[in-house]
Parts: sequence; C-alpha cells; structure tokens
Amino acid sequence: MQKPAVKKLPFLGFGLGLRTSHYETVLAELPPNIDWFEILSENYLVAGGKPLYYLDAIRDHYPMIMHGVSMSIGSSDPLNGDYLEQLKKLADRVQPAWFSDHLCWTGLDGKNIHDLLPLPYTEETIAHVAGRIRQVQDFMERPMLIENVSSYLTYKDSAMTEWEFLTGIAERADCHILLDINNIYVSAFNHGFDPHEYLNYIPVERVGQFHLAGHTNYGDYIIDSHDHPVIDPVWELYADALRRFGPVSIMIERDDHIPPLDELVPELDRARSIAQPILKEMAA
Amino acid sequence: MSRISSLQSQFQSAILTLGDEFDDEIVATERLGIKRRIGIYADAYRLRLIECLQDNYSALHTMLGDDEFDRLCRSYIDTHTPHHYSVRWYGDRLAEFLAETTPYCEHPYLAELAAFEWKLMEAFDERDVAPVTVEDMAAIPPDQWPHLTFALHPSLRRLELTWNVAAMRSATDDDRDPPAPQQGDQPVPWIIWRSQLQQFYRSLAADEARMLGQAQGGDDFAALCAGLCQWNGESEVAARAAGLLKQWINDGLITRIGV
Repeated sequence: MQKPAVKKLPFLGFGLGLRTSHYETVLAELPPNIDWFEILSENYLVAGGKPLYYLDAIRDHYPMIMHGVSMSIGSSDPLNGDYLEQLKKLADRVQPAWFSDHLCWTGLDGKNIHDLLPLPYTEETIAHVAGRIRQVQDFMERPMLIENVSSYLTYKDSAMTEWEFLTGIAERADCHILLDINNIYVSAFNHGFDPHEYLNYIPVERVGQFHLAGHTNYGDYIIDSHDHPVIDPVWELYADALRRFGPVSIMIERDDHIPPLDELVPELDRARSIAQPILKEMAA
Repeated sequence: MSRISSLQSQFQSAILTLGDEFDDEIVATERLGIKRRIGIYADAYRLRLIECLQDNYSALHTMLGDDEFDRLCRSYIDTHTPHHYSVRWYGDRLAEFLAETTPYCEHPYLAELAAFEWKLMEAFDERDVAPVTVEDMAAIPPDQWPHLTFALHPSLRRLELTWNVAAMRSATDDDRDPPAPQQGDQPVPWIIWRSQLQQFYRSLAADEARMLGQAQGGDDFAALCAGLCQWNGESEVAARAAGLLKQWINDGLITRIGV
C-alpha cells in the first residue's frame, strides 16, 4: 500500500531556545545570526507580567516555535483540556510555525512528575498515543511535532526498537518528528544500540526539526542535562543526520548553566558551518 | 486497567514512594542495574522540585542555608505531589507546611517569609492592566469625588507581617547578608503589587490599610473619608484621603475610577 504524501515542513534555519537571562541582550542587539527562537510553552502560560511582555517584544523580530513539556501525550490519564486551551491561546498569540512536545508521559491520576518518562514500545502504546496526537492536532489546528526523549530504562513489555516505535506513531498519527540528535546519542549509550541504525530508519519526510544539546556523562550512563556545550560525537551524528534528512530547522537547547548569549551564538555558528557544505552538496 | 495504565501506575509509585513494585517490569543490564535505572528518575524528580523551590523561595533558602533548605524541600516533596502542568506553581502550600510542621513551626518567621515570597511570585505574572494617571484623576469635576469608586490592580496582594521578612527578601535580592529574624510588637499590614514589570512592597499605616480595604470592597470616596475619622481629625480627613489616593495612583495601584 502506498503511504500518504507528507508535507515537508519549511526550513527556518538555525535557532536557539529563548531564555529569560537573554531577553535584554536579544532586544538590544537583535542578533542577526539567530534565525528563530524556540520558546518553552509552559513558561508563557501565565496571565501577564515580564514573560508575556518579552515574548511579544521578541516575537516582533523573530519567528518562533512552541515547545512544550507537559502535554503528557503518552499518559493513560485523559488529555488535560485546560492545558490545551491555554496552549492554543498562546499559539494564537505567538503564531508559531509549529508546536512540539515529547513522546513520553509526565504523570498519572492528575499528578505531574515534571519529567519526560519513557513509554513501553508496544502496538497498544502506538494506538493510544497516535489517537491522542490526532486529537491534539485537530484541536490546535497546527502541525504537531513529536520529540524522541532520552531514556534510562527499558520495559520488559517493549516489543520493538525506539525508532520503530517513534516512526509507527508519527505515521499512525500523521504528525512530524522533532529529532533530538543528542537524545539519540544519550539513549544509544544508555541502552547500547547503534545511533545510525536509528537515524537510517526514520522516514526523511517526517522530520521537521532537530534539537542539539549537551549532556553529562557519569561513566556508566549519560544524563540529558542540557547544561554543557554539544560534544564532538553529537556534532558528527548531526552531520550524518543532515546527510540523510537534508535542510531541517536546527535548534540548540541550553537549560542549565546558561552562558551569556555571545557564548551560545558561536555554537549555533558551528551548527551552521557544519550544515552549509553538506546542504550545498546535497542541493547540487 | 489497561497494561499501559498499570505500568504507569507502578512507575509513578516507584518514583514517589521509592518502593520496588516496578522492578520486575524493567530490563536489567550488566552495566546498570534496575535500582539505579529507576533511581535516576526518582532523583531527577526530587532535584527538579528542589530547584523550583529554590527559585520560588530565594530568601527562605538563604535564611535556612543549603542543607536545612534541602531537608525542608525533601519533607515537603514527600507530602506534596505536584498537580499543575507548570512546575512554576510548585510550593503553593509551603507556608502552611512550615506553620504546621515541627521543627519549622517553632520558628514562626519561616512561614511568614514563605507566605511573603509566594505572594511576590503571584504578583510577578498576574494579569496586566494599565493604571490610571494623576491627570485622569484631575480631570474629574470635584463635585463627583464623593461618589468615586476605585478598581485596584489585579496583582495587589495583602498580608500582615510580625517579623522582618521583607528585609530578608530585599537583602537576598540585593545579594546582601539578610538581617537576623526580629519580631515586631504587633502585626503590620503590608501590600505587594506589580507596576509595569516591577514588583513592589511596602508597609501600610493603620488608616491606609483600612482605606485600602474599603476601596477593595467597593466603597466610594465619601465612605473612605468617613473610615479615616478613627485616626484623623475631621478637618484633616479629606486631605489625608486625597493624599493616600494620589500615592496609590503614583504606585500604579488604581486601574479604574468609577464615576
């Protein structure tokens, strides 16, 4: 059976996560080599004050994407209608190119663990999550991207690989994928799989965005801490991903030990300088 | 219960209560045992919430010091699971917890400080409403003044403080050493609010506290003046009321004048 055509998302260039400590610098300098910003949606689901003031001011100058952590798309709790309404209101304000959240669950029985908890890779989970993504996309009236998370454990129930699971959900839900290159590296280390096997399985047309980030290596496991610069093996994996997926919007995440903006921009420049020759060659 | 639901229930319980009911569902590997794999999630849960409480209660953290604050957070976390989708709201019951729990309740300034810091947080991202100006007020004909009513900024929060907790927070914000806890003779009314993007706080004299309470309750200006008679002579009341009103307008506290 022929698979339905998937509309490839536009290439927005090279973005950074918008962080409060950079608000003033961004507005004062309007750095030209940041093409867009990704916002953490939950930080702006508030009534007023500084967060929304700076959001609007910076949105006037840059395209934005909304990235969430609390949709809990894989939970067996019902979807949180209040959360989705707030998210839609924010999307109406921001007019993001798209919005994303993680392929995980964050709590049960109304509780919120505030962590990206992994799911068992089963057909039952695929059906459950894909149905919910369809519901959310219909409600939000915008494309949703689902992101692979770093994980530290494997369920005995899992009957397939993570990349089969991720692809199965994206195809069943007809949504796009936010491929976190660092998370692939981290999970490959923690679970002992080949990250290239992962990359090579994911359908090219489904991938709408990349994440890059740093992590913390504890020797026998790696934590996806987003508190360090991107390491060389992740840059290499990123180059391989570019060769497979072509021009995909790229963004660097930093959530802890956040340096001044002028230390992050060179990292983004590095992402750009790795991408340019590869994309040029592919276009030729 | 579906299989996913039952696995999630066991996983969540392992994170919250550190029990072993989830162990059998996890694949063990030579490099990293089951306990450590689940432990990564259980630790991350607590560390994330502690970090959030540090952000929300910076002065309380300073007053208690790292170790004692960490102990407080862990006992609060053990009894208060987050429910809100935004972690920013975690810690809304901390003042109550401090007031009710030994040994913290033996130091009542702790609960007062936590209540103060939480209200500052509430003011931070409360709804935006443009304040009225002195010119708006001056444009109203004097014969209408007795009937004027006032809407106050949605960020306005009130509380009574017996301890010098505002000075503790102010020192922490300025990176100075906070003062030692000191108890006043009696509770003093305070207000916290946001004007434009900035949070403010100050204490109120008894007559101002009364007048503000009446204004919040919807009383008109004539009633506000009458309320001040307890503290001010009849000839001074109108001037005092007008002076306080002007101060509120300058503070950005009044958002609408009803005529």
